[in-house]
Amino acid sequence: MTTTLSAPPQPTRVPRPWDARTQRPAGNRVVKGVIKHAVLLCVLLIMLYPLLWMVGASFRPGNQTFAGLSLFSDTYTLQNYADGWSVGNLNFSRYFVNSAIITIGQIVGNLVACSLTAYAFARLEFPFKRVLFGMVIATMLLPQHVTLIPKYIIFNQMGWVDTYLPLTVPHFFAVDAFFIFLMVQFIRTLPKSLDESARIDGCGHWGIFWRIIMPMSLPAIGTTAMFTFVWAWNDLLGPLLYLPSSDLWTVSLGLNSFLDQTGQSTYGTLFAMATLSLAPIVGFFIASQRLLVEGIATTGLK
Amino acid sequence: MTKPRFRRLLPGAALVLGVALTSTACLNQGPAASSDGQGEVGGTIQVAWWGGESRNAKTNAVIEQFNEDFPEVTTETQSADYAQYFNRLNVQASSRSLPCVVQMQDRQVNDYVKRQTLQPLDDMVASGAIDTSKIPPAVLDGGRGSDGKLYFIPYGIAWDALMVNTTLAEEAGVGAPPESWDWDQFVSYVSQAKDGLPDGTYAVAAGGEEQNAFYAWAVGQGIEVFNAEGQLGFTKEQLKEYWSLWLDLQEQGIALPPDMSAEEPPGADQGYLATGQLMVGVLPGNSLYVSQQTLDGRDGGELQAARYPDGPAGIGNILVASGFGISSNCDNVPTSAAFIDFFTNDVDAQVAFAADNGAPTNTEVLDALTAEDSELPDLKRDELEQYRAISEDNPPKVNYPPGFNAVFQQAFTRNYNEVAFGRLTLDQAVDSFFNETNASLG
Repeated sequence: MTTTLSAPPQPTRVPRPWDARTQRPAGNRVVKGVIKHAVLLCVLLIMLYPLLWMVGASFRPGNQTFAGLSLFSDTYTLQNYADGWSVGNLNFSRYFVNSAIITIGQIVGNLVACSLTAYAFARLEFPFKRVLFGMVIATMLLPQHVTLIPKYIIFNQMGWVDTYLPLTVPHFFAVDAFFIFLMVQFIRTLPKSLDESARIDGCGHWGIFWRIIMPMSLPAIGTTAMFTFVWAWNDLLGPLLYLPSSDLWTVSLGLNSFLDQTGQSTYGTLFAMATLSLAPIVGFFIASQRLLVEGIATTGLK
Repeated sequence: MTKPRFRRLLPGAALVLGVALTSTACLNQGPAASSDGQGEVGGTIQVAWWGGESRNAKTNAVIEQFNEDFPEVTTETQSADYAQYFNRLNVQASSRSLPCVVQMQDRQVNDYVKRQTLQPLDDMVASGAIDTSKIPPAVLDGGRGSDGKLYFIPYGIAWDALMVNTTLAEEAGVGAPPESWDWDQFVSYVSQAKDGLPDGTYAVAAGGEEQNAFYAWAVGQGIEVFNAEGQLGFTKEQLKEYWSLWLDLQEQGIALPPDMSAEEPPGADQGYLATGQLMVGVLPGNSLYVSQQTLDGRDGGELQAARYPDGPAGIGNILVASGFGISSNCDNVPTSAAFIDFFTNDVDAQVAFAADNGAPTNTEVLDALTAEDSELPDLKRDELEQYRAISEDNPPKVNYPPGFNAVFQQAFTRNYNEVAFGRLTLDQAVDSFFNETNASLG
C-alpha cells in the first residue's frame, strides 16, 4: 500500500497594516535615510562643537581666543603651538614622556596584578574568598579623598614623593577593584571544562591562567588597558601631589600650568597643547575599540 | 571554623590601626622652635608658589638671580595654579612635609597658623635676617596671623576694586567715575547709565554675591567683618541692608540678573567685563591689565580701575597680601630667610618680576616700577599708582579667621542667590548664612 503524501496547503498570508512601510517606494526610503543621517550629523556636530571650537581657538592669536563662538577666524597662527611646546625651562615633549612612563607603568601593573587576582577569585577556592571579594568590591565605594592623606604620609615617609613610584608601584598590588571585578566577571563566563581539560593535559594553575584564561580574556584585558590609559593620562591630583618638580610633570600638570586664576592665563597655548594631548587617547581608543566594546558587552558592564 | 579565625585577626587589625593613628599623631606634634634666621646660608631649600606659566617664568628668573648671589644654595621649586596649589599644600601640611618657603595669602594664613605649620618670622625681622624696613607697617600687617605674629612677608598686594569700561560709560552718558565717591553716588552712577547702554549690556555686576564688595561696604562704615573670636563681626540687619541694596539693583535691571551672573565664566580674562557685556565689574585691581587684553581682542573699549565707594568711616578698599613664609618643618631656616629677604627687597629681582602678583610692597621697588623709565605698560603702572594712593589712605585690615576659605565665599554667594532666585526670603537666607558660617569659623 502506498501512501501519497500531498503537500500541506500553504497558509494564506493576511496582509498586516505595517507591511505598507516595507513596501514603500525606494525614493521614500532614500529621503528618510537622508533626513535621518542629516539629523544624526547635526547631533554629532553639536556634541563635537566644543572640541572643534577648542581646536579652532588654538590657531587664533592670543587676544582673539575668546573672540566668538565661530570655528573660524580672520587670522590664523601656529604661535600657540610653538609657545606651548617650549613651555618654561622644559619642552612639552618632556611632559608627554613622563605621562607615557606613568601610564605604561599603570597599565602593566593593572594587567598583571588584576588578572592574577581575578583568576584567583574566579577559579580558586580558599578560605574567606567571598568575604575578601566583598572587601575588594567595597573599596570601590571608598572616596579617594579618604585615603589621600594617609597614602601621602606613607609615601612621603618612604621617600617616594617626587618620583614616579607612588603613581605606578601600587598598581602592581591590584589596587583597582573595578578592574578586578571586570575580569572576575569575564573569567566566570568562560567554561570551567576548559580548565579541567587543561588540568588533565597536565597544566597547573599557572598553565591554565597563562595558556587558557589569558588568551580568552583579551576583551577584558583590552578594556582594562583602555580605561587605565584614559584615567592615568588624564589624572591631575595624583601627579599634583607626588610630582612637585616640573621636570617630572605630566601632560595634565603641564596643561594646568597655563591657567592662573590670580593672573594671566594663556588659553591659546592651553588649547593648542590640549589638542595635542588628545591624540594619544584617540589613537589608543581607535586601536583598542573592538576589544573595548567586546569587553564591556561580555561582562555586563553597561 | 571561620569565626574563631576572624576573631584571631581582630587584635592584629586593631594593632595596625593603632600604629597608623599613633604615627599620624606623631606627625601632628607642635611647631619647630622659632629661629632668628641667622646662620650659614647654603644647602637646599624648596620654594613653592602659585601661578601659571607666565608667573613661573618670572619667579624662576628671580630664583636664578638669587642663586647667582648665593651660589652655594640649591633651590628646588614647586608651583601650581592657585586652587591646585592649596590642594597640594593642605596635604603637605597634614604630613608635615611643607616646602621650606611657602607662598601664603592673608585669606589662608590662619588655617596654617592654627595647625602650627608655619614659623613666626618676628625674630628673623628683629635680627635683621629679613629686612622689612621698606614695607609700610599697615601693609606688613597683612602677613600677621590671628595671634598677632608675623607669618609671611608680603611682597605683592592685590586690592579689591571696581573696574569701569569707560567707553561704555561715555556711551551711556555718565562718563568716567570720580576719583572718590560714596555708595549713594555709586548707585546713582550705575542707575543713570542703565538706559544708555546697548541691549544685553548691564551697568554693574551682581555685587550682592561678591564677598569683596561686601567688605568694602562694611569697612567703609567701620564695621568689623570678623571679631576677635573669629566669628562674624557684623549683624544680620547689616547684611540684610547690604543684600537689599543689590537685590534692588537687580530688580531694576541695573545689575546683572542672577541667571547671567551664575553662568559667568571664571577668570578676569573671560568674565563679562572682558567680553564687553558689563560697564562696572568687581575684580581685584591687578586684573585690569588681563581684562583689558581680552577686551582689546573684541574692540570692547577701555577699562579703568576705580576705588570702591568710601563710607562714613573712611576708605572702602582693603588690601590682599601675598608673600612668602617659612614652614615649621623647615630644616634650613637661615637660607629660607635669605631667600625671602632677597625676593621681597632686591630691586633688580622685583623689576624682573614686574609686579606679577600685585603691587610690590617694598617702596623702593614700587618707585622703580612706576618711574618714567620703567618698562611696564602704562596700564600696569596705573594699577601701581592706584595701589600707592590706596595704601597711603591707611586701608583697614580684615583678619580672616581659620575656616574662612572653606565656607565664607560659598555660603555668601549661595545664600544671596537663594534670595535672588526667589527660593528663600531675605530673613531666611541671612539666618542660614549666619548659622552655616559661624559653625565653621574660628
